[in-house]
Amino acid sequence: MRALVIDDSRTMRRIVSGILGGLGFEVRDAGHGREGLDVLDEGWLPDLVCVDWNMPVMDGLQFVSAVRSNPAWRQVTIMMVTSESEHTQIVKALAAGAHEYVIKPFTADAIRDKLALLGLLPQEALL
Amino acid sequence: MSMTFDTGERRRSTDVRPVISELIDEATVFSIAEEAWSALDEVLVPQRAELSGDLISSWVEIVGPWTGSVVVSTARDTAAELARGFMGPFAPDELGDSDVADAFGEIANVVAGSVKAALPGPSAISLPEVGEGPAVRNPADQLRIDVLWRGRPLSISVQGALPALSAQ
Repeated sequence: MRALVIDDSRTMRRIVSGILGGLGFEVRDAGHGREGLDVLDEGWLPDLVCVDWNMPVMDGLQFVSAVRSNPAWRQVTIMMVTSESEHTQIVKALAAGAHEYVIKPFTADAIRDKLALLGLLPQEALL
Repeated sequence: MSMTFDTGERRRSTDVRPVISELIDEATVFSIAEEAWSALDEVLVPQRAELSGDLISSWVEIVGPWTGSVVVSTARDTAAELARGFMGPFAPDELGDSDVADAFGEIANVVAGSVKAALPGPSAISLPEVGEGPAVRNPADQLRIDVLWRGRPLSISVQGALPALSAQ
């Protein structure tokens, strides 16, 4: 399975990519939403995108809307991983087309639990 | 870097500007910080200790009914240790200054996100910055907690961006 991690923080990209890599995902990353769309435009279609909210150039909400407006990317599951923790923000992200929402700070177990809910744990992670 | 936000809320010049202590208290700030550190399996001890040496701050601006910054300050070597702790098993063998700045900024971002959620909204937050930190413009519009992490002092300040209003 493939995952794309989008965050302007190199630290967060390392952490989220490390967790997903440990679960068996093939991972790529991007520093903002526009870079993330470039990866999809290349034809590298992920099963999962973990995207931050507040980023320069293109934020996470704009990214979610852009992905959802392209029917070719409909099967991509999007999980927002962000410090935006207000209920209204969560509702906004889900309404835009995100499937799940993880609030920073999080643990590796929290990510794993969300992926299990989404049915997106690679086989090797279930062993 | 300063950012301009439109939170969608309009106010009149006659509106009373709240100070931070009217909106949240120090216990809330400590509880937010404690939760952030507990995700790292780390503990914060509330205890005032002198911040000394080569200090560094990371901060995030909040713009809304209350406007100010969440500022995390500590010694530079503590920030490096904290960056390594934050990355856990995913930390590179060698941490450069930019790695430390990025991780330390992300810590301020995590704390600021929860502070923003505790404030009346709507509010927006900026991207994190790292450096000397913004000056305290109005001591009456500041909440500060001092803590020890692994015996090293840290401070977290939630401080208004505007100077005190002059008496009419």
